[in-house]
Amino acid sequence: MSSSVAGAVSPTRQALHRVRRDRSARVGLGLVVALIVVAAASPLLVKLSGQDAFTYHIDLLDPARGNAPQGSFGGVSGEHWFGVEPLTGRDLFSIVVLGLRTSLTIAIVVTVVTTVIGTLLGITAAYVGGWFDAILSRLLDFLFGFPQLVFMIALGIIVPAKVPRTVLLIGVLSVFGWAGLARLIRAQARSLVTREFVEAARSVGSSGWWVITRELLPNLLGPVLVVATLSIPGYIGAEAALSFLGVGVPPPTPSLGRSISDSIAWVYTGTDPWFMVFPGIALFVAVLGFTLLGDGVRDAFDVRLRRTH
Amino acid sequence: MAEPVLEVHDLRVTFDTEGGLVPAVDGIDFSVAAGQTLAIVGESGSGKSVSSAAVMGILPSNAEVKGEVLLDGRELVGLPSDELRKIRGNDIALVFQDALSALNPYYTVGWQVAEAYRLHHDVSKKAAFQRAIELLDKVGIPDAARRAKSYPHEFSGGMRQRVVIAMALVNDPRVLIADEPTTALDVTVQAQIMQLLADVQEEFGTALVLISHDLGVVAEVADDVLVMYAGRAAERGTVRDLFHRAAHPYSLGLLGAMPRIDVPPRPRLTTIPGSPPSPGSIKTGCPFQPRCAYTERVGERCITERPELTPRPGEGDHEAACHLGRRPEAVV
Amino acid sequence: MPDILWFIIRRLLATVLVMLALSLAVYLIFYAIPADPAHLACGKPCTPDRLEQARHFMQLDQSTIQQYLNFLKGIFAGRTFGEGAAAVHCNAPCFGYSFPLARPVTTLILDRLPVTASIAVGAAVLWLIIGVSLGVVAALNRGRPLDRLAVGVALIGVSTPSFLLGLLAILVFGFWLNMVPVNGYVPFSESPVDWAWHLVTPWLVLAVLQAASYIRLTRAQMLEELNLDHITTARAKGAGEARVVVTHGLRGALVPIVTLFGLDLGGLLGGAILTEKVFSMQGLGELLISAVGQLDVAVVVGVTLFSAFLIIVANLVVDIVHGALDPRVSHG
Repeated sequence: MSSSVAGAVSPTRQALHRVRRDRSARVGLGLVVALIVVAAASPLLVKLSGQDAFTYHIDLLDPARGNAPQGSFGGVSGEHWFGVEPLTGRDLFSIVVLGLRTSLTIAIVVTVVTTVIGTLLGITAAYVGGWFDAILSRLLDFLFGFPQLVFMIALGIIVPAKVPRTVLLIGVLSVFGWAGLARLIRAQARSLVTREFVEAARSVGSSGWWVITRELLPNLLGPVLVVATLSIPGYIGAEAALSFLGVGVPPPTPSLGRSISDSIAWVYTGTDPWFMVFPGIALFVAVLGFTLLGDGVRDAFDVRLRRTH
Repeated sequence: MAEPVLEVHDLRVTFDTEGGLVPAVDGIDFSVAAGQTLAIVGESGSGKSVSSAAVMGILPSNAEVKGEVLLDGRELVGLPSDELRKIRGNDIALVFQDALSALNPYYTVGWQVAEAYRLHHDVSKKAAFQRAIELLDKVGIPDAARRAKSYPHEFSGGMRQRVVIAMALVNDPRVLIADEPTTALDVTVQAQIMQLLADVQEEFGTALVLISHDLGVVAEVADDVLVMYAGRAAERGTVRDLFHRAAHPYSLGLLGAMPRIDVPPRPRLTTIPGSPPSPGSIKTGCPFQPRCAYTERVGERCITERPELTPRPGEGDHEAACHLGRRPEAVV
Repeated sequence: MPDILWFIIRRLLATVLVMLALSLAVYLIFYAIPADPAHLACGKPCTPDRLEQARHFMQLDQSTIQQYLNFLKGIFAGRTFGEGAAAVHCNAPCFGYSFPLARPVTTLILDRLPVTASIAVGAAVLWLIIGVSLGVVAALNRGRPLDRLAVGVALIGVSTPSFLLGLLAILVFGFWLNMVPVNGYVPFSESPVDWAWHLVTPWLVLAVLQAASYIRLTRAQMLEELNLDHITTARAKGAGEARVVVTHGLRGALVPIVTLFGLDLGGLLGGAILTEKVFSMQGLGELLISAVGQLDVAVVVGVTLFSAFLIIVANLVVDIVHGALDPRVSHG
């Protein structure tokens, strides 16, 4: 039995080796590492800059221009590295790095939750079959037919205000997020269940749990890893979109999407376009980095793609 | 011998790949006359299919073709692609090995046969479809007018191969190249398809180039045979030359690997030990030498000197590329 | 033929069932709302008496199931809230009544739909053209600069949130270059030119972003298709390169492209919400967001169901088109 496990680990190693050799995947990996370091160290970075995300600096604004920041590039200076927010004068660097932390935290938590749920339900449905599989399949159809973004926005109306919005956001993204992975894993696991080594394990009386965790799971590691990595940029974008629409992370927690939303008026009038640029670049780099890494992981694991090269 | 329709001289094909230049065909010659059948035999990777694709001009863009391909004396190598296109499917047509994948799953078979006709004739779609039905009927598809509107997946393997043949014949080609036309089919259907090709050849005087590794089929239909090994010609002659006077140890090996019912059974079928080298991987000497049972008798020459195709004395056009002067006996 | 008809009928029935299940689910979820919409309607000071009146008037005093049945009945027969002179009529098909806006939800949706549809359909046509043609170009130039460019554009496209690119476009083309209007919507009936002029930026923004996934999909599909044997058959027939690529290659890539397009069109409402906000257009998305802010449950339910309806219909259409495009799909 151990041979199948060993056989599953080594393709994974090979795939990781391929990721390391792929140039754009390496760029992605570098960006992702940098993003995570920045996000994790953001309180420290903010302290280092000598600022915080909440103090108003009215004195740095220009009342003649509708309280846009004084100076060029949105008030960039030695104290305020990304300038300040118009109207409030809060430090934009602090808002951006802390906003990045919010984004990544939510995206990663949602990815972990959906990956665990999706993998377990997908494998179980394939292994158990019968009514469980039937119900899960219908549920997946239902979730796929659902107007997700519309529903996420609409949900804001029914969930009591005392539920923290960040928790709600994670919950909502998770509820809709696991379906895609579950469907993929179910399909992959179904083809494995009929394979000889699984039947062999069953025939010697291995328990269902044993077969699932020792036989199926190691063989499905590749697809799970690919889907998980590729879904992170999707969740970063979704969180930003919901915050942009005003139904995501509530103030005063810094959020890239909300900052970009706040910047609309300043972009329209041209009084302070820099207010959009810094959070915008941070969001773009975050999505780009995870997408590059995700593409690299997918190419490394995808047998069909690999063969055509 | 009659005037050849298709002549190939010193054909060389090289692929430009990431790993450098890879030769696939290393200088072969053959010709075939109207109504005649030339069989090209060899193991997979010997360059048979690449040669036929080179003649058709349908190799991928990283392939470089050198040498001469003459159709009725007209040079095809280096012809502008527009000119070549008028010849492809019109004067020279190809029958593929796997009819299921050779047919487009999204169009009806009638459409696909008609398309081949319309590409070379300025006729209405309707007239072309009529022509397609006519051809489908001719290759033995029952109820052709109705079946023409069916899709490839709705046919059996044998019927699909008939469709592919109909598609190849729709423009009355001078030369038909059949690349393993029966490999994907079961034995009874194989015989039917080979009979169909023979009938067609008789009726239209088509020159047939049959690419095969099935010596049983070759013995039955071929007039001349070219044995290829590692991108080169190992032996060339009439079908009698090969089956009665095989001069190359490799040919002999192929014959030994063929089950026969016309001679008393040998103790067992022999196989050729080892596997064929990729063309060009053996730089000096005879490419077959590593697998050859006669190397010891010949000695050094097999390793140092490349054998060229040389006429067998007193055997007409029979040629072999082997240093062994006399005929090798079967080694069992 | 009858096969396909039966298939469509079966799928239609299934669609109706899914719609019913979905509307019930949405209804149960949204009418479990803790905040009472009657509170808003009853005004200040809100005595318990007036609140009760308002609840009765809005038919919120009935059980949720009864309310749902009323809702279903309203779709076919219309509804009337209250009695006498104060009565409010909502004609069939009535998808609820917005008391804060004093309009039937159906009217509200139909009023806003042209804005959202204008954005969505215009962008969809653009991105299909851009995405598929760039994808084909990339596949044909695999590994060369054009391919790298298309792949790079696609990468930036999938990595950029639409609202970000929209704002950037407004900043660059609207504010700095002063080329296009930065916001607002002009109805087509008022001035087709102004309509298009105001929509050009949102169209391009949405199109560029969405085209990214079409470039990726088309490129991957074409690379696979162009490697298939039937492409070689088409070349061997004498088909020109354009015919090989479009008639034979793109035809096979069409099924997944059309599938993606159908599903994207169905889900477009979601994407349009963001675009509407960026370009200050009063479409369905804006209707939904302001309804959420005002606790206008009737509108929220109406818009949610409407967008679910679009997705389900898109799924149905994709299934039917899929069957029509791929002859191998059986409708049995």
